[in-house]
Amino acid sequence: MTSLKYIWRNVIRHKLRSSLTVLSIGFSLALLTVLLGYMAMQDVWGEEAQKHNRIVVMSKEGFAGLLPITVVDKVREMPAVKAAVPYSWFGGEYKEEKMSFAQFSTDAKHVMNVWDEYKMDPAQLSEWQKDRQGCVVDRRLAEKRGWQIGEKIPIKGTYFPFDLDLRLCGFFEAPQYTDSLWFHREYLDEGLKAGNPKGRAVGKTGMVFVKVTNDAAIPGLIDAIDDSFESSDNPTRTQTEAAFAQMFVDMLGGMRLFIIMIGAVVVFALTLVAANAMAMSTRERTTEVAVLKAIGFPRGRVLRMILGEACLIALFGGLLGVTMGCGLLEGLHALNSQYFPFRLSEFAGLWLGWLAVISAFVGLASGIVPAVLAARRSVIDGLRRVI
Amino acid sequence: MADPIVVVRDVYKEFYREKITIPVLMGINLEMAAGDFLSLMGPSGSGKSTLLNLVAGLDQPTSGNVTVVGSHLGEMSEGELAQWRSQHVGFVFQLYNLIPVLTAYENVELPLTLAPLTRRERDEHVRAALEVVGLGDRMDHYPRQLSGGQEQRVSIARAIATDPTLFVADEPTGDLDAKSAGEILDLLERLNRDFGKTIIMVTHDPNAAARAKRLVHLDKGVLAGTVETPQASSQAGGRR
Repeated sequence: MTSLKYIWRNVIRHKLRSSLTVLSIGFSLALLTVLLGYMAMQDVWGEEAQKHNRIVVMSKEGFAGLLPITVVDKVREMPAVKAAVPYSWFGGEYKEEKMSFAQFSTDAKHVMNVWDEYKMDPAQLSEWQKDRQGCVVDRRLAEKRGWQIGEKIPIKGTYFPFDLDLRLCGFFEAPQYTDSLWFHREYLDEGLKAGNPKGRAVGKTGMVFVKVTNDAAIPGLIDAIDDSFESSDNPTRTQTEAAFAQMFVDMLGGMRLFIIMIGAVVVFALTLVAANAMAMSTRERTTEVAVLKAIGFPRGRVLRMILGEACLIALFGGLLGVTMGCGLLEGLHALNSQYFPFRLSEFAGLWLGWLAVISAFVGLASGIVPAVLAARRSVIDGLRRVI
Repeated sequence: MADPIVVVRDVYKEFYREKITIPVLMGINLEMAAGDFLSLMGPSGSGKSTLLNLVAGLDQPTSGNVTVVGSHLGEMSEGELAQWRSQHVGFVFQLYNLIPVLTAYENVELPLTLAPLTRRERDEHVRAALEVVGLGDRMDHYPRQLSGGQEQRVSIARAIATDPTLFVADEPTGDLDAKSAGEILDLLERLNRDFGKTIIMVTHDPNAAARAKRLVHLDKGVLAGTVETPQASSQAGGRR
């Protein structure tokens, strides 16, 4: 019989208590997995955005402001600009869905030069460019919805007072799932003009996405763009795509710090739960531990056996929690790819290792006090009930 | 007496409870030869369990010397004492104190995991010990599946598995019915008589005490007298 076998028997001695402890650790770590996973996903989004030499021009007022469409042409003329397109979030509803996919109005002629890592059949692109009411979607979005070329896609305007009546012309393939649909800016503009020729959004764009020829030119170009519009009626705020991605995190108000604080509280609470279970377990076995020491088990071995028990419970809880958390992240990606744009395999990394470290910490921290007390308790005191 | 293996010299033991000193043993002198079987009797609080703990290396005297199998227990560290106990002492407790999550086999194997033995050697020791106590057919039973008498026999098997020099038994029949108690005492007697094991036993039961060769009375922390039992004479007669 090995020590591990004895430890295992003790773990399953009180099945209900051990199961509840494993579950409490599991659920807490599942929450932590989702929180850490979400942060990792944001990092990957930022890293991914850094690879493609893109910058984003938007109104200095932020998302609430709009830029005249003429800004696009002015930016195109600047040195080191490879391509630039207007890009506006439409935010409409597809059929009865409240949280449907993302829709953006853009320039069909140049958009594939800005997102040049995306792939699209040239015939489909040409078809889209010719059809004013045409649209293209992420291939995975089309597969998920079962859309075919020629599919009618009605989108009800919520932010803009115009309903889109789109026809699917093609699919683009992005390295990561975008959950997006692109349609012609002109189509939206005409629709808005028809409703109200002096409407606030007519002839405007929310953002301008710019592809830069090389990364070294980015800082100079950002300054050049902002300087050139500084004295205009529409001053701009230009940033890298990575900074733009980070802005969404910042918008949530110190979200990262908040997540870390929640995580720390969760770990602290579950350590107390596990420590309580271990303390109860070892207290019930005071005499048993005394017998082990009486027959010659040294303090260190007793300490290791109790710590091993706590670590084994934490390990099971950790495995359960990380499995549940990863399942949740995959589920959230499937349910809402706008907010969870990456599959787990795309952002799995060191943070999963941290969860293993946290599990080990919970095991050690919850077991150390009961283990030390049990190891230090005198044999006579432990046997007192018997001898 | 032949060379004693247990020598207790001028032993005093005091406990401290809430700043009050409580003397438990006062100037105890005792010797046991190899193969001796000694019963410790006395009223509650007389110090017999304390004396047993000192001889077993579970506790240390306030003053005086306890020497067992040539080792001065008072000079040993806790770690050294633990190792010494694993090699030289077998314990039998009143409430058996088997590990409930381990089978009879595994309980007996437990002290052997501290010895430098191969798995095969351990297996031989465990089977032999369980055969000696008559439980060769109950190896895979958990303590809850055994009667009190059988549990105590497993406890004795655990004590003899490492072939220790000294057995300490604290009220080994205190929790058993008369029949089971008789069987346990028969077993202890057999270990002493046939295997030459040295046994020191605390008991309240005069019938159990009578199975020993010597009966030592403790009263208020001092030795009140030592009596050779008829058992000693009959065994001596038997040997003659």
